Amino acid sequence: MTVPPVLRLRGAAFTYPGGAGVSGLQLDISPGEAVALIGPNGAGKSTLLKGILGLVPKTAGTIELGGARGAAPAPIGRIGSAHAASGMIAFLPQSAELDPDFPISLEQVVMQGRYRGLGLFRWPGRADGAAVRHALETVGLAELARRPFGELSGGQRQRGLLARALASEPALLLLDEPFNGLDQANRDALVDTIRTLKTRGVAVLVSTHDLELARLVCDTVVLVNGTQLASGPVDEVLTLGNVQECFEGLEVELDEHTLVVPGHEGH
Amino acid sequence: MSLTDALFGAFAIPFMGRALLVMLVLAVVAGVVGVLVNLRGLEFISDGLTHAVFPGLAIGLAVGGTAGLLPGAAIAALAGALALTWLDRAGITSDAAIAIVLTATFSIGVIVVSRSDDYAGELEALLFGRVLTIPPAEVVPLIIVSLAALAMVLVTLKQQLYRAFDAKGSRAAGDSALVLDLVLNSAIALVVVAAASTIGTLLVLALLIVPGAVARLVTARLWWLFPVAAVFAAVAAWLGLALGYAVSVGAGVDLPAGSTVVAVFVVGYGLVLLGSSVFGRRLRGSGGLEPDSSSSGAPRPAGVAR
Repeated sequence: MTVPPVLRLRGAAFTYPGGAGVSGLQLDISPGEAVALIGPNGAGKSTLLKGILGLVPKTAGTIELGGARGAAPAPIGRIGSAHAASGMIAFLPQSAELDPDFPISLEQVVMQGRYRGLGLFRWPGRADGAAVRHALETVGLAELARRPFGELSGGQRQRGLLARALASEPALLLLDEPFNGLDQANRDALVDTIRTLKTRGVAVLVSTHDLELARLVCDTVVLVNGTQLASGPVDEVLTLGNVQECFEGLEVELDEHTLVVPGHEGH
Repeated sequence: MSLTDALFGAFAIPFMGRALLVMLVLAVVAGVVGVLVNLRGLEFISDGLTHAVFPGLAIGLAVGGTAGLLPGAAIAALAGALALTWLDRAGITSDAAIAIVLTATFSIGVIVVSRSDDYAGELEALLFGRVLTIPPAEVVPLIIVSLAALAMVLVTLKQQLYRAFDAKGSRAAGDSALVLDLVLNSAIALVVVAAASTIGTLLVLALLIVPGAVARLVTARLWWLFPVAAVFAAVAAWLGLALGYAVSVGAGVDLPAGSTVVAVFVVGYGLVLLGSSVFGRRLRGSGGLEPDSSSSGAPRPAGVAR
């Protein structure tokens, strides 16, 4: 018996009221599988992630969430699907969007990951504290727990937000350009963490324009540029032809070489 | 008059005791709510609510006399909270648009009040409060309104802080931004209602904004913000009432009580600001009376390792 997928998209499109969006999405993510969402800036990678969270309306196709906890995939609605999804999805935003002056410590940020399970009336208990410590150990920041969040380096903040996502014990983890601006040490730590998560059965969908990263941690690649261009195992999809179509005329990094993909019009 | 008389003895007088009770409850609640106002950068929306409440007070007064004040203000405040939440969600954050709506509501209030016989006296009471003449029958309703605001904020406090820190993450965790904003704006509106009957609609803003700003100066630790703001507000309210009484009764200079309380709030803020710059207790950040950037959600690339 095959394990049902955590996330299944069939012909899905997510469109902002203004008209911009991403369409033609066909995707299954199983527990323990990592999928790289690859495309140039403006390709709709973030739009897809926000669509899964219910922050951008779905305008075509179906999206199903479930499976990971034994439940059958259930269709979720348009706006407000964040509620249907709550308890399942964790989202790692780009830490640069957060106010560094906000008076909050690293462990308090990570504790936010537990709030969903607590609801309105319960306050964090001993089990939540243990989950926070465990999440901080997983990302290698346990000794900085009481440090103000704004005093951490960019890479440490990113790992802190990842710890918050882990503390919520998600079935599906969405990461939006998590490697932007990271130094090598933080990058390695993040790669290790994603590998650990996969072994624990967490499904991971990571948007990036870093092809190297896709090779390092992902099983499957989805190429998007306004619409889904290709998907499948990393080695089959990351071919020169596919990448050329996706990144037409842009610089990409492939196997530690930077190459400028020529546009089609010159041929 | 001795210092003890001003600080303690004065409040044995029934009207002073009532004023102190209502002001202490209100100050503590405004302090707690004000921390969220500061963290969310909702100073302008709070200002808007103080204006929106005014026609409610005026219509309540015209329809039901003094007894109509609280219901009128409560209805107007909740309508204002709904309208401002909607404006915010519709992306209408233009200061000009909001300012036009709010001055319009204010002028409606003034027009309604101007129909009454004692135009100047009633306008003054609504704008600058009547903390020393709170009728005994209004004490309990005012406390209930204040405590309702406190309860709304405390029940949603974890989620409000999550939203203040990371709006997208909060949405992803399944929290409704609409519900959280409605609850917070309604809590602010209820504080404005309670305060409008005590220190007046024009001075309410000091109660909501100064304690939160003081707390940001004193501590960078999240859970300390709330007690610090509440204690500062309570002490400043008490000292303000005592000072007003001492000067009015002892020195014979008639000081308006509400304005004296607000002046003490602002002087307290000044002293804390001075202290924090001298002793450097504030670890980092701006956190002053200016609305800070946490509200705009603007990208802050500072500190990102490149």
